[in-house]
Amino acid sequence: MEMDRESGKLEQIVSQFRSKILHVILDSRVPSLHHHHHQQQQESLSHSRVRKTDKWFNLVLGDRPPALENLNFSLRNLFDPMVIDIILVHRGSCSSSVDNLYSPSAPAAGPADETVIERWVVQYDCPRFIATPSGADASVSYKKIYKKSIILLRSLYTQMRLLPAYRIFKQLSSLSQTYNFDLVYKVSSFSHPFSREEESGMKEYIFAPVEALSGCLSVSVTYRATLSDFNLEPLVSLPPKIITDYVGSPTTDPMRSFPSSDKGAHATSFPLRGARPPSSSPFQRPHSWSSGFHRGFPSTKTQSLAGSPPVYRTSPKPYDIASPPTDLYGNRIQNQRVSTLQQVTAYDEYKSSPPFSPSASPSTPSYLSGTNPLLTRHCSETAPVTIPLPLTGRSTRYLSPNSSDPSRHSLPPLSPRSSKHDASSQESPSGIRSYRKIEALRAGESPSGLSNNYSAQKVVRDSKDDSGRFSALLSSSGSPRIGFSRSSSRLSFQDDMDDCEFSCPFDVDDVDVSDSSRYIPYSFFQSLCLYCFP
Amino acid sequence: MNCEVCQLKELEVEHFEIREVLRCILHTIVFHRALGLVRPKDVDLELFEITYVQCGDVELEKKIDEKIDHFISWVEKHPNKKSQICLSFYEVKSKQPSWFTNKTERLYWEQWYVNLNVTQHPKHHSSKSHHTKLVVDPGESATEERSCRRAMVEASLREVLFQIIKFVNEKKDHVPPISEGVIYFPYEITIPRKFQ
Repeated sequence: MEMDRESGKLEQIVSQFRSKILHVILDSRVPSLHHHHHQQQQESLSHSRVRKTDKWFNLVLGDRPPALENLNFSLRNLFDPMVIDIILVHRGSCSSSVDNLYSPSAPAAGPADETVIERWVVQYDCPRFIATPSGADASVSYKKIYKKSIILLRSLYTQMRLLPAYRIFKQLSSLSQTYNFDLVYKVSSFSHPFSREEESGMKEYIFAPVEALSGCLSVSVTYRATLSDFNLEPLVSLPPKIITDYVGSPTTDPMRSFPSSDKGAHATSFPLRGARPPSSSPFQRPHSWSSGFHRGFPSTKTQSLAGSPPVYRTSPKPYDIASPPTDLYGNRIQNQRVSTLQQVTAYDEYKSSPPFSPSASPSTPSYLSGTNPLLTRHCSETAPVTIPLPLTGRSTRYLSPNSSDPSRHSLPPLSPRSSKHDASSQESPSGIRSYRKIEALRAGESPSGLSNNYSAQKVVRDSKDDSGRFSALLSSSGSPRIGFSRSSSRLSFQDDMDDCEFSCPFDVDDVDVSDSSRYIPYSFFQSLCLYCFP
Repeated sequence: MNCEVCQLKELEVEHFEIREVLRCILHTIVFHRALGLVRPKDVDLELFEITYVQCGDVELEKKIDEKIDHFISWVEKHPNKKSQICLSFYEVKSKQPSWFTNKTERLYWEQWYVNLNVTQHPKHHSSKSHHTKLVVDPGESATEERSCRRAMVEASLREVLFQIIKFVNEKKDHVPPISEGVIYFPYEITIPRKFQ
């Protein structure tokens, strides 16, 4: 009985050690988890509270990421190694996503490259013959083991900040820039060996093991000695600027065609791409979960099991991208938990698999990576628009946000059958599309550039325009949602619009609404629907 | 109990770099010997692209800064000399009390020697040559030299930090047990006599 109690203590130390190490590693390598933790730490510092988990190994790290909640279940066998891969996801040579709007010849983003830049292995080896101490010896023994574990954890914490990957982590943690790369992680109970090419660029450091009478706790790291091979450049972040050559601008040639929305206008630094073909060999492992979107390593026969782990999806589902969390990091995790549960198979190991969907990364959600989610979704989900907006002779000008022409009567006649309007309206769809993109981009911009915290369904209001503006935003399902910046009656109108379900962006500048009304008649939209979908 | 000694690799630094380098090294060592409950604090160096960890104790930070000031004063009085600063950890043991003394003694169980070679960087002279038409801009080459030198110091400092990590990992048995409520072991920072 005493032996059981003693071995239980050791198991507890080892188990908590693994949790703590994972916490340290994720906190120093995964930007989104770090942000979440940092926010919480700011809150907790004011209360000066120390959690129970913080007291383990005398290292206060704050709340554990939700991924750790499942650690003890998924990797509950302490004698299985815990392998933590830190993966650099590097987008192809894609310049600013906004630039691509205006330069159709710009190359589309290539597939994401994923490279394991660090591999941490935590192992508890049990010797063949176990000599279990008893009595006072046992107590002294476990105290020594605990002390040595504390020292090991300290040195690991320091080392994490000296390895090359830490610099990348710091870059990504800076919210003022967006990048064409991201860091994700994968935790599993075994690892695929590196190829010779990969090994050649890697170094290994083995921490001195903590030896106990009943086992040996060891930690090692294999890491890329240099990351200069990767083109880790920040994306060009556009300062806010007034775009003058929008459709309807006096300087714009009405016959000019704008680049179509489904080519090249995509966000970078976003590992989740809709166009990727499904992997032929889904990633199948026991005891494995990951963040981010990465290629599965080729599975071998010995490793494939019935009840495969959640395989990453290749096409983004709406729920992956959409939801507008109030608290980005917290809700993001919640959403991913939901999406993961939807994918979990009946296999027991994965019933409580970590909350992160393999295709939706907690470290690289689209908008958290600094991309403009509207642009992303627009490229991957929205069909080209063909809405023929009936316009008057000076029709395009009504789309201008700040036009002060009082004589503008931009609203078309209610009937969609006027041939006069048909001719001019053919160009407007692309124009409207471009305009909407511009507005969406402006909506997402912060003073420092593209916002990391853009909410997909945020209603945009142009501060310069007192009368407000309707901006069509794509919802996650692809159907447009027209946000009204003012009265509640517009909101009800919005509901009506949702019922209409036409998938086209629509921008109306209500400056050009007739003097008597600031509302666009519902019948107008009705007729529009009929026109689009006869 | 053994007293483990670690001689850290010598660093060639300029005067203005002393404070940052010493802060980095001393705090890193103390962090590995502050085995009580700590909330680690990451600190980015300004002169180098290195992040080190402090144990977040304000008093400790103050004391280390005082010692560094003291060391800098010494260096100013002894320019262009190799210098050393010693960080020691000890246990307090009371001597057998007698009628005349009731002293306590310090039993040192670990000593770290930080070796610095403080140099005065020579001013750059114009390298205008009379024999060539090419005029070398003195500002540019000085900047290049400086950045090259800075990179070397950064690499050396990184090596020293790895040396510390290696040492604390390999030698753990001599570390005394952790006392309840104590954040870090008693320590002292001194300039060895032979350098005074």
